[in-house]
Amino acid sequence: MKRLSNRLLASVVLLWAVFSLTFLLTRFAPGNPFSAGRHLPPDVMKNLLETYHLDRPIWEQYLFTLRQALEGNFGTSYKAIGLPVSEIVFQTLPVSLTLGSFAFLVSVILGVATGILIAIGPKSGRNLVRHATTLLVGLPSFLLAAVLIDVLAVHGGLFPVALWEGWGSLALPVLALSLAPAGYLARVFSASMEETLDSPFYRTALAKGLSGPRRILFHLILPSLNAVLALLGPLAAAFLTGSFVVETVFAIPGMGRVFVLSVMNRDYPLIMGTTLVYTVFLTVAILLGDFLQEWIDPRVRSL
Amino acid sequence: MRQNPSVGPESPDLLTGSGAATKGRGMSGKRSELLQTLKNNLSFGSLAAFSLLFLLVLWALLPARFTGVDPVTQHARLVLAPPLTGGHPLGCDFLGRDLWSRLVSGSLVSLTVGLSVGILSTVLGCIWGIVSGFMGRPWDPVMMRTLEIWYALPEILIATILLLVLGHGMMAVIVALSIGGWMGVARVLRSETLRLKDAMFMDAARASGVPPLRLVVRHFLPNVMPVILVMFLFRIPGGILGESTLSFLGLGLAPPVASWGVLVNEGWKALPVSAFMLIWPAIFIVLSLVSFQILADRISRNIGSSR
Repeated sequence: MKRLSNRLLASVVLLWAVFSLTFLLTRFAPGNPFSAGRHLPPDVMKNLLETYHLDRPIWEQYLFTLRQALEGNFGTSYKAIGLPVSEIVFQTLPVSLTLGSFAFLVSVILGVATGILIAIGPKSGRNLVRHATTLLVGLPSFLLAAVLIDVLAVHGGLFPVALWEGWGSLALPVLALSLAPAGYLARVFSASMEETLDSPFYRTALAKGLSGPRRILFHLILPSLNAVLALLGPLAAAFLTGSFVVETVFAIPGMGRVFVLSVMNRDYPLIMGTTLVYTVFLTVAILLGDFLQEWIDPRVRSL
Repeated sequence: MRQNPSVGPESPDLLTGSGAATKGRGMSGKRSELLQTLKNNLSFGSLAAFSLLFLLVLWALLPARFTGVDPVTQHARLVLAPPLTGGHPLGCDFLGRDLWSRLVSGSLVSLTVGLSVGILSTVLGCIWGIVSGFMGRPWDPVMMRTLEIWYALPEILIATILLLVLGHGMMAVIVALSIGGWMGVARVLRSETLRLKDAMFMDAARASGVPPLRLVVRHFLPNVMPVILVMFLFRIPGGILGESTLSFLGLGLAPPVASWGVLVNEGWKALPVSAFMLIWPAIFIVLSLVSFQILADRISRNIGSSR
């Protein structure tokens, strides 16, 4: 329990640190959100800055924004005028979550299966699959997405090219998002399994003459699965970065796209809102991964 | 995500250390170990990867003038010219700029960014990890908590927000990606420090009155050099990938400067009319990333097995 409260405290500190850093970086960025594009008359500019409290001293803005954020209010977007940030997040987050959870499922299933294949599959195929995972890890998601769209959507006509309409449009983005993490997972998992293959308890299981499937499942796969759990945090981060790219390429109205656009538009409240939501998700993913790992393998706790 | 080489915590010879301290003349010991590391890595895959990267660097260093064409000059009549038209071996882009010279200058930019990010983030991570490990309490827990906080955020997210302030030049991208990605190095270096700081050879050096800075530089660093080398090798493709992702999204380098990311961004927009603009930079990105990955994998596996 003490560990849990410690971790939660650390998460709160993390949120505060991210809030402060994002705030300072956006406020010290050269220019202001309204200086790009057309030139505004001075009094219009003055009114705009006043409306969004951007003319106040920086510490006053900081305290004001912090108090708002604590109340769960991130203000309204500068670009989509009058639209509250929370509403944008509520509209786009489910899209990203759907995409992310499917990608997570696909990459875990694919990664674990490939890992098993590399570790104990037929000798001839092993190296080929291993090299394929190297290629996957080295294949940036934007290129993968481009190839998928060109081959399967434009020329193959099998899937919709882009947009977010129905289940068919889910296939290509999920594939683009999950292949690289799957390759990475497969490498880590197969390495962990190879370690288990060398371990004394596995040799004992072999010597006892345990039957194939049982031995492989209970003495090889399950003990090695911990390496995968430790990757939950990094995986969440990868899906996040991936979602920036994939949602942009496939024109999906998710939060990754919103984040990229908000940075381009210098939409301060929207940058702040999305960054904080991302931070919450990442911390939860890492916490969850760590606790699952400890629950399954108590040895981790003593480390 | 990418920076996780399997450098195991298995201990080497804690009594003597494997590098400088035992061999009298520190430098020769270190050199022979590095040489040994290199010798262990001569396999077909790593040799191919190495020569490919070597060729790539040579090619990037070719003066763009080689073709007699400037990478930013626009030829209105040659818009989207296919490869091998009139002195443009790879064709021209949608503004009629020569793709060969754009790729040459883009390769130089991308490789420079990758290498610089590799160096800068490795140095940052080494300093943080070593200082944290050697200082011990009360600084170590504080520095480690800070590290964990930073580590929770993905490289691209940190870099994107930093770039708001830093601008969109090459230096800005290098600094942003380095600040976004040094944490893995720091973690590994700290655990290496904890493993070795009370080793017998370190104690012996301390007992003979070696000052702290010299202790770290001459006695500690040579023993962790292989680990640092591997981390560095994993960081280079990380930097290249980071740059190209940022530039692809339009958040990093911006045209008319060419880099692989910028070229892919332009090629992606032009894909409905011409595939060449996307294919060339894509080939370079994939080849370089895979080559670095193979090299780093190979070396990290050998270091792991030699222990």
